[in-house]
Amino acid sequence: MAPDRRAGVTVTVDAATKVYPDGTEAVAPITLTLDPGRTTVLVGPSGCGKSTLLRMIAGLESATAGEVLVDGEPPTIVQRRGELAVAFQDPSLLPWRSVAANIALARELARLDRDDERVAELIDLVGLTGFAATKPAALSGGMRQRAAIARALATDPRLLLLDEPFGAVDELTRQQLARELPALWEGGGTTTLLVTHSVAEAVRLADRVIVLSPRPARVLADIPIKLPRPRRDSDPAADRLERAVVEALERGHAGGDAAQTGG
Amino acid sequence: MIVAVTASIRPLAAPARRDAAVGVAGVVVALVAWEVLARSLEGAFVLAAPTAVVVAIVDNGPLLGRALAATGSTALAGFVIGNLAAVALAGLAAAWPRSQRTVTGLALIVVCLPLVATAPLLRVLLGPGDGPQIALAALAVYYTTLIPLLVGLRAVPDTWLDLVRVAGRGAVTALVVVRARASVPYLAAGLQIAAPAAFLGAMVGEFTGAERGLGVLTIRASRDLDVDLTWALATIAAAVSMLAYAIVGMIGRAATGGQPPTILAAPRIAAGPGRVRRTLASTASAVVATIVLWWGGIILLGITPFVARTPLDVVGIFAGTRDGGLTRDALFAALCDTAVYVVPGYIAGLAAGVLLAVLIVLAPGASGAIMPVAVALRSVPIVTSAPLIVLLLGRGSLGAITLIAVMVFFPTLVACLHGLRQAPGQVLDVMAVYATAPWRVVVRARIPAMLPAFFAAARMSVPAAVLAVTVVEWLATGTGIGALMARSASLSNYDALAGAVVLVTAVAALGYAAVGAIETRMLARYAPEQAS
Repeated sequence: MAPDRRAGVTVTVDAATKVYPDGTEAVAPITLTLDPGRTTVLVGPSGCGKSTLLRMIAGLESATAGEVLVDGEPPTIVQRRGELAVAFQDPSLLPWRSVAANIALARELARLDRDDERVAELIDLVGLTGFAATKPAALSGGMRQRAAIARALATDPRLLLLDEPFGAVDELTRQQLARELPALWEGGGTTTLLVTHSVAEAVRLADRVIVLSPRPARVLADIPIKLPRPRRDSDPAADRLERAVVEALERGHAGGDAAQTGG
Repeated sequence: MIVAVTASIRPLAAPARRDAAVGVAGVVVALVAWEVLARSLEGAFVLAAPTAVVVAIVDNGPLLGRALAATGSTALAGFVIGNLAAVALAGLAAAWPRSQRTVTGLALIVVCLPLVATAPLLRVLLGPGDGPQIALAALAVYYTTLIPLLVGLRAVPDTWLDLVRVAGRGAVTALVVVRARASVPYLAAGLQIAAPAAFLGAMVGEFTGAERGLGVLTIRASRDLDVDLTWALATIAAAVSMLAYAIVGMIGRAATGGQPPTILAAPRIAAGPGRVRRTLASTASAVVATIVLWWGGIILLGITPFVARTPLDVVGIFAGTRDGGLTRDALFAALCDTAVYVVPGYIAGLAAGVLLAVLIVLAPGASGAIMPVAVALRSVPIVTSAPLIVLLLGRGSLGAITLIAVMVFFPTLVACLHGLRQAPGQVLDVMAVYATAPWRVVVRARIPAMLPAFFAAARMSVPAAVLAVTVVEWLATGTGIGALMARSASLSNYDALAGAVVLVTAVAALGYAAVGAIETRMLARYAPEQAS
């Protein structure tokens, strides 16, 4: 039986490392499992290798040693089934396509029908109603980011990878996007991995936060976030979890040993 | 040979209107000076006044009209064929990246082929009709379109390609969905430069024995010392070339809705770690591809052994096994004569281009008068300017060196000016805060920023200088390898012709590689972000 398109996948990272040809070690041996339908957030200092790890899971980078499997298969196989989507820090909208055509691009690439209704629905969902025919150049940074997230959702992916999707916008827009957009992929069964360096964002969005050390990335802490959803702006429990994440980051910065807690 | 640099066309804001006014004033002043100079030189048979040019055009209206139609139609046919070939090859290189080194290497070899020799060879092979003109126009266009298109196909953000990859799609989808559309502005820029290049190719074809066309009339007018008609023909050819450049540019801007990108030249064939190995590999693949096409062409087209020389024959010529080394010695002697013109001309052109660019940056007001003229003159075919420079400066070394310098000067100026303006604004602001003298700003901030553009122009000017020197030796001085090729063609000495083609092509390609090697070292030091 064909897998349900909406059911999330299990991602297994097994002692995967990444060393670039110039000798730069981006990712130290990392082992972790992303559970289906859960949102995992990777946090770590800038340049620690978290985006590299995300790209390895997306099948955009190969592991130097170890392996990355999605439902027991290499990510490139999952790519070909159109079950994987990525939103990058840069919205990466094609400038000659309208918002609607950029969102539809994901469906074209995944060899799905164009489904104008679904595209229109996504445009409304991300708050771009009335901008379907607008070219990216005429949009603000936050609007472009919304369009990019709509594009990532357009194929109803089983694995959604978000590489600092709110990184390139101003703080107010960032908070607004982080408040509104998670509802789009939460509860739908999609396995989601989000990379960020904002601790507050991580705790707000995650079912589980994985703290990475400075380069080469290794797991410093694996912190489950068991807060009720929808999450509130101010919550003492969230504050405690944020402190736990910050402490883990500081330990990593001070060269502390890798320690795995919970998970 | 034209380096693909498109000037950025700004909207007609107030400063642009002032620049335009200065430009018009500059043209008027130049016309008046031309008229005065021509009248003072009357009887010297060197310079026709603008009024005499107009009279010559009116008097010979129907004749010039028919010639223009003939040249225009062959140029158009070559433009279409050459561009289709360029688009197909660029598409192949983008869809199958392994072929890219061979495609660009082959493109460089083709552009280094000396027109002075290939034109008569094509005449022999294709007969008296329009074939050689169309073939030469296509060859002239192919490179000017291929290189910007390759740059455009590659100038795509990695994340756009990642979008295609995460959908499990390959290079062909990336080509169709992302690269092709992203390269349209680059294609438009290439086509703009290709338009006058097609005209140049068609005219060179006509020089080798066509029955009609502006090239045929130019030869007749030069031979008859009809100074007015020579200048009239040059004016028409220049005007049509500039018009073609402007019209294609306008269509391109309308189609892309934006500013044309600046394309300085083909990226260096290799840089970074493993450079030597990769350079050798790409050179070898391009040479093998050339030999396959060359030998395969002779066999497939059934070219008579009287004309055709295979790669083995050419090896025999240079090894001295065919004629005891007579041809080889003549070729090398002629090449030494050529070096006397081409080296000073090339260096003078580069120096003049850099100096004028720096002057324009130091005195921006001059730009409005100089740049429109420079951009326009860049599109004037060399076969048009060569007879004029011969009329003005004579058949000696001064005329030859000047013509080579002119060929190198315009692309260098446009590229350097673009480069000087690339200096980071914040660096300039820091210098402004310390009230740094303008010349110091040029030396410390602008010239380092200019180096990538300068070297791109210097590299691309090598084949341009070789084209210029061979044309000027053929049409004017009667010495060196250009004249030797022309003489060999008229005497049906195909050993010498084939040897000259291989020698000139190899020297031009080696010169290109040598400048590229200096460029890589300089950029590694002054612009490391450009060196990979």
